[in-house]
Amino acid sequence: MAGDHLSNDDFFAQLTNLFEHNRNKSHGTVYLTQKRLTYAEVEIPSPTKIVDDPLWDLHPEKPLPVLIRASNNKSSKRSGTDRPGTDRDNVEKIKLSTVVQPDKLDAFYARYAEACKSGMSGLKKRDRKKGKKDKKKKKAIPGETKG
Amino acid sequence: MPYFKTNTEWYEQSLLLLKARPTTTRITSKYSVLKPTPSKVLKRQKYASKHAAKSASSTGSPAPQSQNPDEPTATFILKTYDPVSGTCLQYETTKGAEVGRLIGSLGRLGRHMAALPEVAEDLSAPADIAGISTPTVEKDVKTGAPVAEQKAGGGGGKKKKKGKK
Repeated sequence: MAGDHLSNDDFFAQLTNLFEHNRNKSHGTVYLTQKRLTYAEVEIPSPTKIVDDPLWDLHPEKPLPVLIRASNNKSSKRSGTDRPGTDRDNVEKIKLSTVVQPDKLDAFYARYAEACKSGMSGLKKRDRKKGKKDKKKKKAIPGETKG
Repeated sequence: MPYFKTNTEWYEQSLLLLKARPTTTRITSKYSVLKPTPSKVLKRQKYASKHAAKSASSTGSPAPQSQNPDEPTATFILKTYDPVSGTCLQYETTKGAEVGRLIGSLGRLGRHMAALPEVAEDLSAPADIAGISTPTVEKDVKTGAPVAEQKAGGGGGKKKKKGKK
């Protein structure tokens, strides 16, 4: 894995680009992954300690950072065929990653939700017949703006 | 690998998995926009023509706006996966309105990943109750087993992890 994580701000800028790219192409995929960051951040207890407490990772002493990754789908042009569905262009794989420190987590996810909501514009819009429901009470952070 | 019917169910099961295996579990969200395949386009056209004929022959109810057959389909898939136990929990949606709520769930699961204390979840309480009211027994059994297994097989997983470092 490439060790150069972006800062959170850069990550959001790039993520917006990624979604924008997807929108312009009107097809394609964006992958987003999150997991606990354990590489080189926490020391694994000694074997004897693990024997004593096999579930040591359920209660770490201090909060751990979370790793967020984003990528698009790579696609390569197929030559020699002109069947429908094979008329695609070469697309380079774009990979982004960032590390979110525990104390920044809430703020990060507020921005993340905004970025995803605006980025995933291809999904179905709200059905008008159902009327207004309890949609946007979860992540209503007006202060957070993204570029 | 189960696709859950509701996002609350997905969230609850993911939470259980994450509690059992906080270091190895990852959550992947996939937003994909796909051009429909030729057969899908054909199917949509057929459906639209059939639907139009039916609504015309019966009452003169307003025909629902038919979608463009070539319109790309967008889906949003959430997947919680633990490579050590092989547990995989999925939820798929096509509704844009759900994205905010789902990212909210991701945030709450992220707090568990970071080993932060749980926050009060009074906001989500009504939604949770609605989701809980109809869990199937079969699902509970199916997902209950792997979690129990994970706890029992914890030693093996740890050993593997040690070797990796």
